[in-house]
Amino acid sequence: MSASVSPLRAIGLVHGLLIRQLLTRGRILALLALSVLLGVVSLSVRLSDTLENPLRSSVEIFDVVGFTLVVPIVALVFAGAALGDSREDGTLVYLWLRPMDRWPVVVGAWLAAVSVSLPLTVVPLGISAMIAGVGEGLLMATVLAALVGVLVYSAVFVLLGLLLKNSIIWGIGYILIWEGLIAQFGSALGKAALRGYTRSILANRMDIDLDGFSEVSTASAVAIPIVVTIVALFLAAARLRTMEID
Amino acid sequence: MTDVSSPPPPPTGAPVDLGHLTQAYSASGPPMVEAFGVTKAFGDVIAVSDVSFRIGSGITAILGPNGAGKSTLFRILCGLTPPSKGRVEVLGRDARRDRDVRGRIGLAPQQDAMFDRLSAFEFVEYAALTNGVDSAETRARAALDYVEISADDPKRVGAFSKGMRQRVKLAAALVHDPEILVLDEPLTGLDPVQRSRMIELFNDLAGQDKCLLVSSHVLDEVARLGSNVLVIAQGRLAAAGDYHALRDMMDDRPHRIRIETDQPRRLAAAIIERDLAKGVSVENEEITLDTTDVDRFGRAIAPLAVELTAHLGSVAPLDDDLESVFRYLVEGR
Repeated sequence: MSASVSPLRAIGLVHGLLIRQLLTRGRILALLALSVLLGVVSLSVRLSDTLENPLRSSVEIFDVVGFTLVVPIVALVFAGAALGDSREDGTLVYLWLRPMDRWPVVVGAWLAAVSVSLPLTVVPLGISAMIAGVGEGLLMATVLAALVGVLVYSAVFVLLGLLLKNSIIWGIGYILIWEGLIAQFGSALGKAALRGYTRSILANRMDIDLDGFSEVSTASAVAIPIVVTIVALFLAAARLRTMEID
Repeated sequence: MTDVSSPPPPPTGAPVDLGHLTQAYSASGPPMVEAFGVTKAFGDVIAVSDVSFRIGSGITAILGPNGAGKSTLFRILCGLTPPSKGRVEVLGRDARRDRDVRGRIGLAPQQDAMFDRLSAFEFVEYAALTNGVDSAETRARAALDYVEISADDPKRVGAFSKGMRQRVKLAAALVHDPEILVLDEPLTGLDPVQRSRMIELFNDLAGQDKCLLVSSHVLDEVARLGSNVLVIAQGRLAAAGDYHALRDMMDDRPHRIRIETDQPRRLAAAIIERDLAKGVSVENEEITLDTTDVDRFGRAIAPLAVELTAHLGSVAPLDDDLESVFRYLVEGR
């Protein structure tokens, strides 16, 4: 009666299930509150008449609040939980003991996390960019950087959820210490932090030099995170194939 | 404590062969599940130690106390965890590496976790879809009907009782009509009526030439599951074969009994003299002894006490439980 499940079908099935598992009211409200914070800050920038360079101030605020906190944390909450929660509560067995390859399970989980995280980041960030009132350039730069950020952070945190228990705690440590501090050290170390690429997209598109961080071209700032995404998903599939299931 | 005589000899360390099961397999065909010297270690802890068996169609009960290694053995069979040593074949294949054979196994795990935001129908239909079943909706409805749960109940499985969740898990395990069903403690949390119904279902499935592996730590449940049994204790295969042979061995093994009396030494000496028991020891006003013939001992002890004008405070078995049977099988004590 049973037959192997095609990869595309498996991706769709895992995606559909995990969307439902991930979308809890508590999570959405908490993360929306985080996004609203950015809107409030943007509004205060717009209303302030003491800023020398409102555009630069807006970009810096989006860099710090939007791409150091909102995007990675939203991605962490959903991508870390996508397979991490199943692993920890024991339901992963219902995805593992099936005639399906491993990689579609990982890709389905990643797509589920992206599907939930994108509207929760791009929409509030876009609205905040409009509220800032410094031109359409910031809106486009923000949307592109958020898209790249969500894709790559989600892949990394899906992998993290399969590697470590309590992935949220480890992920927050990673965001604050690695992404928050290391990215400020510039050059080589800066390129090892994903934040450097979202920041480069923002700075290049707005033609603003953010303390020497606009070293990577926009094309590279998009391409490198895509490569990181593929590698992270590959490692996650390998991890799922070899891990022990409770 | 004073030893008055020596204890009965222990059984050997090798599994006790209770019948045909370890030597042959189902008459209906080749072995469906085979374990070859399977050992599983978690660090320094040996969860399963050098277990070998062959199983054909029908029900095989895996009996053992909590923590004996039953669930670990099931996880190895299903490929969820690799053995540290040895190998397992399910339908001639390794479920950990072979994608297709995983679709021929139905597992109802012991843990209570389910996708709690789904209804029973959604949960079972999802199991059908992820097993590549074409008519998933029809099969899901049939599987839920089989375990007597309404497919139209909109309630989420997270709000179900333990018994209902067990039945939904069974429906999800069998929705794709697998040849191998691995059911880990499926009767836990069920009331007596539900247990009876579930055991009927197991027997029905076994009649369809499926191989059912059902674990339990309750001897009376195993009695109703059929005649094939593997006894796992402390990770080792302690006995394998026919349930009735196990039951007989339980009755024949030495039973430990404690007697409270005001004349323990006189009574103990008389018990030894009349060969009613071995391993007799005395401490304060208590006698502890081992007997392989509980009926004879029971008939003799009261008249003996009257004869000696000894007062009997109590006569109580110390090991009349399954744990002591396992202990006897594994350690000989």
